[in-house]
Amino acid sequence: MKPIEIFKYTNWKPFEYLGIHGNFYSIHAETIISTWVVLGIILVAAIVSRHFLKKQVGVGNYLVVSFGQTFIDLCNQILGNFKYKYFAFITSIFCFILLCNCISLIPWLDEPTQDLNTTVAMGIIAIAYTHIQSVKVHGLWEYIKEYFSPFILMFPLNIVGKLANVVSISFRLFGNIFGGAIISQIYHNAVEGSILLESIGILSTLDITVKVFFGLFEGFIQAFVFSMLTLTYLSVAIQKDTVEKGNV
Amino acid sequence: MIDYSQLLHYCSIAFAVGVNSVGVGIGEGRASVAALKAINQQPSAQNAIGKVAIIGTALIETSAVLGLFTAIILFRNPLPETNALYVAIAEVGCALAIGLSGFIVGIVSSFPTEQSCYSIARQPFFSNKILNLTLLTQSIIQSPLIFSFLVLLFIKTQAATITTLADSVRYLSSGLCIGLGSIGPAIGLAIFAKNACKSIGINRHVYGKILTFSIISLAIIETPIIFALLISLVLAIISIPTTNMITTIAAMLAAGICMGLGTLFPGISSGKVASKACIQIAYRPDAHPIVSRVSMLAQGLIDTCAIYALLISLMIAILR
Repeated sequence: MKPIEIFKYTNWKPFEYLGIHGNFYSIHAETIISTWVVLGIILVAAIVSRHFLKKQVGVGNYLVVSFGQTFIDLCNQILGNFKYKYFAFITSIFCFILLCNCISLIPWLDEPTQDLNTTVAMGIIAIAYTHIQSVKVHGLWEYIKEYFSPFILMFPLNIVGKLANVVSISFRLFGNIFGGAIISQIYHNAVEGSILLESIGILSTLDITVKVFFGLFEGFIQAFVFSMLTLTYLSVAIQKDTVEKGNV
Repeated sequence: MIDYSQLLHYCSIAFAVGVNSVGVGIGEGRASVAALKAINQQPSAQNAIGKVAIIGTALIETSAVLGLFTAIILFRNPLPETNALYVAIAEVGCALAIGLSGFIVGIVSSFPTEQSCYSIARQPFFSNKILNLTLLTQSIIQSPLIFSFLVLLFIKTQAATITTLADSVRYLSSGLCIGLGSIGPAIGLAIFAKNACKSIGINRHVYGKILTFSIISLAIIETPIIFALLISLVLAIISIPTTNMITTIAAMLAAGICMGLGTLFPGISSGKVASKACIQIAYRPDAHPIVSRVSMLAQGLIDTCAIYALLISLMIAILR
């Protein structure tokens, strides 16, 4: 059995010849390449689905419309009212993370989400969006006052609570995808080099089961969890306290 | 003269696979008994009930398989000549990580299978949707196990470089943290999943609402485990000074145990809150928005306790 490599990134240092050094400016090559492949797939899918929508009939049209309708229903269920910008934000986050989790089905590519940099970036984007929308809905003064509620001593704990949201949402995605990737890597290291073991794996469909369970199934669940949690945080951030105003 | 390093090495191999098998055995027994009782209630649905029971037991077995993987990994990497005792102590951390979480997950992941057998007995024509929900909830219950396995591999790959006792206690504490930390949230996840399956048995028209609600709730109940994972990774990565050996050992153990115990009751009570909300949605589907919102708010407040534990453990581990 080969030893398991946990951090196997090649570092690119594009700013080195400008005289800028340091670990902060190095780039993980595999992550960047897989992310651009994902973005390319999304672009192609968008063009194709636009073509389907123009035709108004057919299987493709049905698939695209039902995909959109599912997310419109989810937004209605959780937010209470439909707004196009929230729907677009949630759906694009879902598509990006789903494709990132499933990209390892293509040979020679790794999931970008098994790199902590990607998941923390997605977490920061999602949480920052909810804060911006909260400011837009309630106004800046109400937003700041929320940090000092219920009384002024709670200010540091409120700050920590908001930061813990980012940590929990990004480490959940990272842990699940990274764990799945490592388990399938261990399986491949175990059967590699022995024709008997490899053929047993293919014939008993264990090979496909490991790939599909950790690539498609777990990836789909985690992408859905990420987008639903973002939607929940959004609905908490933009809701108005109608009950209190009614009492006054 | 006993060679303590070899004793610890083989004990941890045996612990990893033995304790997991005990948990899985209890869990599979519960699931099979529930399937038989459900067939006794509704004999015409025996095919659907049998399908759910077989898929459920296959998923319960995940923890035994991961325990076996751990035992093989530990067995194939024998102890080095120098510093053998220190590496053996780090391996005890590996065994605790997979053993504690595998034992609990093996027992509790039978709850949703059990309850969905009874639900199918009540709603025989709705078995496919109930099967979907069982599969989904049960595979989310496995995530503490995946996190523990991740920490274990971190410890195992870095264990060869240990030179001091403080380092080995650091890895032991890292494994203890994720092992203890997954007990409470795993129980909470299982209680919630059980009640989600039960509520569809009560009222099958709420399937769509329960599905989204259960995915969000399971993700929120899981939050304390993610804090425990964070502390475990921090403990496995940080570098510690070579002076003040006793103080460092005490600090490392304290950080791990603090986070591990801190997640215990937030996980359980968060699961209980969400499960009551699930049953209420089944009885009164029109109150779904307000019930789910109140439940998520309460879960957010309960998670505050886990955040306190996270803060204190980070302070102990990093600032000292």
